[in-house]
Amino acid sequence: MRYRDIEIVLLSTAALFTFVTGFIIYFVFLYRNRQLKNKQEQEQLHAGFRQELLKTRIEMQDQTLDRVSREIHDNITQVLSFVKLNLALVNTPDEERRTEKISESRELVSQAISDLRDLSKSLSLEHITRQGLVKTIQAEAARLTKSGMISATVTTEGDIFPLGEQRELVLFRIFQESINNALKHANACNFKIVLQYIPEMFILTLEDNGCGFSLAEALKKDGSGLKNMENRAALIGAVAVISSKPGSGCKIKISLNPTKNTVYPDGYSNSTG
Amino acid sequence: MKHLITTYLYDVILLGVAMIGIIRFNQQTLPFRILAIAAICTLSLVILEDIFIARYQNNAPIYHIEAISGYTFYTLIYYHLFTDKLIKRFVIFSLIILIPFSIYNAIYLQSFIKIFPTFVNLPTLGLLAIMSLLLFNQMLTAPSHVPLLRQSVFWYNSAILFYSTTKFLNIGLSNTYTRDPSLDNIVFYLWYFTDYIFALLQGIALFIGVKSYKTHAL
Repeated sequence: MRYRDIEIVLLSTAALFTFVTGFIIYFVFLYRNRQLKNKQEQEQLHAGFRQELLKTRIEMQDQTLDRVSREIHDNITQVLSFVKLNLALVNTPDEERRTEKISESRELVSQAISDLRDLSKSLSLEHITRQGLVKTIQAEAARLTKSGMISATVTTEGDIFPLGEQRELVLFRIFQESINNALKHANACNFKIVLQYIPEMFILTLEDNGCGFSLAEALKKDGSGLKNMENRAALIGAVAVISSKPGSGCKIKISLNPTKNTVYPDGYSNSTG
Repeated sequence: MKHLITTYLYDVILLGVAMIGIIRFNQQTLPFRILAIAAICTLSLVILEDIFIARYQNNAPIYHIEAISGYTFYTLIYYHLFTDKLIKRFVIFSLIILIPFSIYNAIYLQSFIKIFPTFVNLPTLGLLAIMSLLLFNQMLTAPSHVPLLRQSVFWYNSAILFYSTTKFLNIGLSNTYTRDPSLDNIVFYLWYFTDYIFALLQGIALFIGVKSYKTHAL
């Protein structure tokens, strides 16, 4: 009887020890599998993010090249043609008129050089990184206002802090898209840009006074631009809220918590992704 | 003599665990700071047990204190490790129920002075086993970048699962075979073997001291 009891004690203990140890070993393997699966998913997300970022960069470059081409055609070519005309008139015997033409030409050439310098700067995406989002938007707004296409005003609130290169590029691209929409579809004449830097929160508000639209219908018809904006905002961990009504312009509000971790790598880094 | 060596070896292991807890205290997150405090308390209570046995041949009062204090510490650790609000509420609720019950048990059911608190130990061990399984489940739903064996939470949870299940069996065996001296010996060594492993696993958890597995979650 005693041996039988000893057997029961030892067997039950051994069975329980084996079961618990087995369970823990099984858990270790299960956990490792989950880790691998998660890693793969994470890598897929990263690849998607990099692809979307590349697309954003290409779109920005396209838009910049379009603008540069227009600027060269509408502005610099005109200025230089005018200089050419002036120089053709330099042969006049009237000394005073000749001096006036040369002086005028010099000013025009200076203006062309200045415009070309601005253009060359805007050709590079790196200057957005160097200048930061606020200065780039301010420069773009000043250029738009100067061109007479639209009156753009920029307001900055709070202490400016960097949001990370990738986030700023994406935000700038959203800004460009909304400007495009305001010019092409909304026929707006005023465009308000507000950048609010609140601790642990950044809010970019883009508002035009154009013809507006019904959001539901726009999404039904061809809302890819609007959807793009929302998707891009989500890409950097931000939330885009678009509101518009026919006749009352359009407002896009992008809220981003820069301290919040996103699933994407290099969210804060300076790498180009 | 053999019993004494076994008991003192347990004291030495607990001392080591408590030392690790003290040395690494500042590097630990809140749940593992609680674990370090729990290790120090366990060491103090085990020393008191030895003193009580030597002087009064009875350490039941210390077991009563140990049963509920251990559960309180481990439950508080789980409270900080769980992310699900419902489970957190369940953890606190179990504590609210069991503390008054352990007092009631010590006064009316299993005398504080004489009897081992089985009525408190059995439900607490069962609840701890459930909590450890729930935490394993939580870990699977949000795996961390950190290798599992380098996570304190894994070692702590394994310790609790091992302790709660084997102690449950040990209590059952003790109650059944307590009158047979040869079997009592086996049960005694099993009891201490479980305690050694439990203490060692806690020591590993405190030694690794990864800041928090939650912050590494994907």
